[in-house]
This record gives sequence, structure tokens and C-alpha cells, in this order.
Amino acid sequence: MSDAGTVSDRELPELSKGGQIALAPSGDAEGEEAQVHIHGLSKVYRVHERPAGLAASFASLFRRRFKEVQAVTDVTFDIHAGEIVGFLGPNGAGKTTTLKMLAGLLNPTSGHATVLGYTPWRRQNEYLRSISLVMGNRNQLNWDIPAMDSFLVNQVIYEIPKAQFRETLDELIELLDLGELLTKPVRGLSLGERMKCELAAALLHRPRVLFLDEPTLGVDVTMQGRIRRFVSDYNRRTGATVLLTSHYMADVTALCRRVVVIHRGKLLYDGGLEALAERILPYKLIRLDLQDGAVGADISRFGDAVEISGLKATLRTPRAETPATVARILADVPVVDLTVEDPPIEDVIDLLFTEPGTDGAAPS
Amino acid sequence: MKYWIAVYRVNLRVAWAMMMQYRFAILIWAVWGFVGPLVSLAVWSAAAHSRGSDVVGASQSFSRGDFAAYFLVYMIFGHITMSWDAFEFAYRVRTGSLSPQLLRPLHPIHADASYNIGFKVITSIIVAPAWVALFVLLKPAIPDSPVGLLMSLPALALAAVTRYVWQYALAAIAFWTTRVDAINQFYFVLDAFLAGRIAPIALMPAWIAAVSRVTPFWYMGAFPVELALGRVPLQSALTGMALQVVWLLIGIAVFRAVWAAGIKQYSAVGA
Repeated sequence: MSDAGTVSDRELPELSKGGQIALAPSGDAEGEEAQVHIHGLSKVYRVHERPAGLAASFASLFRRRFKEVQAVTDVTFDIHAGEIVGFLGPNGAGKTTTLKMLAGLLNPTSGHATVLGYTPWRRQNEYLRSISLVMGNRNQLNWDIPAMDSFLVNQVIYEIPKAQFRETLDELIELLDLGELLTKPVRGLSLGERMKCELAAALLHRPRVLFLDEPTLGVDVTMQGRIRRFVSDYNRRTGATVLLTSHYMADVTALCRRVVVIHRGKLLYDGGLEALAERILPYKLIRLDLQDGAVGADISRFGDAVEISGLKATLRTPRAETPATVARILADVPVVDLTVEDPPIEDVIDLLFTEPGTDGAAPS
Repeated sequence: MKYWIAVYRVNLRVAWAMMMQYRFAILIWAVWGFVGPLVSLAVWSAAAHSRGSDVVGASQSFSRGDFAAYFLVYMIFGHITMSWDAFEFAYRVRTGSLSPQLLRPLHPIHADASYNIGFKVITSIIVAPAWVALFVLLKPAIPDSPVGLLMSLPALALAAVTRYVWQYALAAIAFWTTRVDAINQFYFVLDAFLAGRIAPIALMPAWIAAVSRVTPFWYMGAFPVELALGRVPLQSALTGMALQVVWLLIGIAVFRAVWAAGIKQYSAVGA
């Protein structure tokens, strides 16, 4: 059962007069025990650096210079059982580093986290049996052999009872349409086919917590949709908790009611996706199909004209004024069709990461 | 125990399936493992031939037949105890392909050990006819009693496990320096001398022989070979096996310590 819809918005960033976003870390949801609990998690990488050139190369033999890269800074949030949470941020924001710490691959520099009551980086077998991390750019399947052989290895390693293995496998074959893919060497599969097999391999042991890092990376639109439906279905049927990163906002809008936004290692926002849009871009888009007689009408008097082309027009109006504006348009202008939309979430995220207050690049 | 048998059986099956994909590469590797002792044998046989008599060391002497026996046994024993994990492991750390293995509730050493065993079974079958032909051709000196040969079998198993554990401890250094290949190459050179791969330890300068016996190398290499050929007295054989166990336990302790510290360092570029 998913309780994603019941998650109340966490502290939201507020647009100040200057348009900057006031940042605030999230608080914990009250009254429920978190399955994923992260508090003050930080990770610093120590990276060797040297200028280009042969001389610098020799110099680095004797005097090494290291730079500390703060990948994740004091991140705190909780995820409750059955939630699907979108973990958003630009490249290098610290998403994957956080996921790797939660999956037990990396040790944090400071802070603590528990997942299902386990400290991930202690890497206890019981913990590893309860989770899965799927990375879109990394294979767990053996490249040289059919996926089914890797599945059988997982069956033994995860000690999945035969009947349960068969049942889960049959479900996965049906849901992901794996059929003939299982008997072909993995290297002969397309990217999308491979990702479906990767997902199946990651879910055979029915993990209670699923970390998905760019699961739709590089796959075509049809396959993206299929993977999304599958993740949603898995969450609904098993009640698994899912933390998902993706650069495709369609993944996030389709799956996540709640998003956690991270930028330059710091938490920017934790709350509902719709609330984020409302706060960051507080307007709606009104799309109009006009009747022939309306050519030349002064549409822009109803709001900011985003686009006017022949008999089609798109206006931007403040959220609060949208109902009144729609009423006035319908009263004054002959329209064939009128739709009201939220601004594209891509625009919201883009603005969030480029606001001066977020320490990102200045908006143009 | 049932779990471990199942784990090794399924991983062995995968290892063989993978090897069947790269048949020519496996053939080359099989021959490569064979060539080293063959070259040493050729050199020492030539030395014995040119002298017209046995090559005499500090404690033992070797005729042409003895050299043939030593290196023919070394071909098999060296093959069985061979381990190359440091090269493979460093690559995985460097590219981040170790990560999926670390996510599984099974230490990566087990899948690798399965592959190692699988490789040796397949390549042993490949090189067996060549070995038999060499045996017939070279007329090695066969020991009178089979006792040494029988005793060498547990010693061989201990040598294989000990070498594997030490090699994996070396591999885990890749958590700190991804270019562990240079260290591994150095290890292989040491091993060539101190484990008796280039020449029987008895023919080496006394100080090399002494170093060999206070390090794990002799116990991982020449010891079971010499045991099989009846060159180790019974008392020394038992002491040797006890010391093999000691080196194995030290190896396990070192490996666990290096691994535990190394895994905290793991932050490979593509981890």
C-alpha cells in the first residue's frame, strides 16, 4: 500500500521579494516510523589534482595536491513505507552519492542513516537481502551469458525458495514482457531490453526498499513508459519503498507525489511536486483554440502572451487570477477550446537550479 | 554448508558458460600457464646436460630426470595454485564494476574463487594431453614411494587456498591505489624466485632459500611439489603443512583487515 499521497508538504522554499529561494531543510513527517531515515549525512571526496602538462605531472610525483570535494552536505530527510520519492538535482548534485551511501556502497564522512533499521554501510547480509539498487549506467547482469543464468545465481545467493522464485519470475516475465529475452546473452540485448532484465534481477528477491538511479537512462519513450508503469505497479503490489533519481521529469511526474531536491550537495526542497510548482512558478498556462471570427482579437489583455499564432494562443496568468481570467475570456472571445495547465515541471526545476539563492548559475 | 555448495555450484556453472564464450582466449591462457615451467625446464635441462652431471645445490642435487619431474609436477601444481585476481580486481575498482558485486549478500571472493576453480578444471583438461606427451618424452625421475605424492595432495589444496587468499589481500590494495598492477607484478617476480618457479629452492643461494622458508612463498609453491617428489622428509612434511595452515590463517587475517579498511575507502570514479 502506498501512502505517498498522504505525505504532507515539508518546509517549502519561499520566494522572497527579490525572487530568491529561501532554503530550508526538511523536517521529519510526524506520527509514522520512517523506513529510510537520514540525518546530517555528508560525504567529502578527497581528489588528487594537478595542472595539465608534463612538468606538473613530474611535480605531482613528489608533492601531491589533494582537493576536498563536498559531494553531500548535511542532508536530512525521511521516507516512509510504501512511498515513491523522486530525488532530483542536476548532474553532480550528490544524488548518486547519497543513493550509494544508502545502498551501503559508500561510507559517509559524517552523519547517520538507517534503512529498515540497518546502518547501510555496515553491509550486513540481512540488509543487502532487503534492498536493491538499480543503476541505469551499471550492469549487475553478467554480460556474457543469458539473463536467466544470472537470475539463477541470484536465486541461490539470496536464498529465494524455489516456489517463490518461480512465482516472482513469472510475474516479472509477464509485467516486463521478458519472454524471449531471458535466453539471449545480455550483450546481445538492446539498452531497453537490458534495463528490463536488470530490473527483474534486482526484484527477484522482492526488496522492501528500492533505490533507482536513472532507471530509464538512454531508453526510448515507449520503454520509459513501460518501466514507469512497472515501478508503479511493483510499489502498489508489494508496498515497497522507492527512492528514484531521474533526469526525465516524466518519470518523476508519473511516479512521485513527493520530491526531494538536492543541489550542490545540499537539500533545497522536500515536499509535494505540485506544491513545488506552485511556489516556484506561481502561474498557470491557458491554451486557447480560437474561432475564425476571433482573428485579430487582443488576447494579450487577459494575461502575458507566451505564444500567439493564428487561431492558437497561450497565456500566462497568476494562479489566483486564473478562474476569473478564464471566465472573462469565455465571455469576451469566441473560443473552440480552452485548457488550463500547470507550467512544465522542467521549467520549475530549471528555475529552481538557476535561482541565485540556490547558489546555482545566475539566470539569464 | 548446503548453502555454500549451492553457491559454488551455481557460480561454477556460470564460470563455465562464460568460458565457453571465449574459447580461444581460454586456450591461450591454458598454454601460457604451461610455458613458464617449460622454459625453466629447458634451461635447467641444458645446464645439467652441459655439465654432464647432476646440478648440485646446498642440500640437494638434480639430474635431468629430476628437473623433468620437478617442472612437470610444477606445471600441474603451479596451474592449480595460480591466481590472478589482483589484476581483475583493480580493474573493477577503477571502473566501478565492483559495485554490483558489493550490493549482493555474498562476498565477491566467492564468485571469483568459483571462476578460478572453473578455469583450472577446463584448462587442465585442455593441457592434459600435452602434459602426458611431455611426460613420455622427457622421462622424468619417478620417486620410489607414492607416500610423498599422497601427502602432497592436502598440501596442494592448502597451497592453492593460501595463495588465493594472499592474492586477494593484495588485490584489495586497489581500494587505495587503483594502479595495483605494479605491486602485483613485483609480487609475481618475488613469487617466481621464492616459490621455486624459476628453479628448485635447493639450488638457489642459501639466503634466498632462507627467505623463501620464512615467507609464505615456499609453502604456496615449491613445498607441495618437493613433497610429491619425495624430497621432503616426513617430519619436515608435517611441520611444513602445519606452517601452511599458519600462513593461511595469517593470510585470512590480513585479507580481512585490508578488506575492512579498504571498503571504507571505496569511492571509485564510477563506483
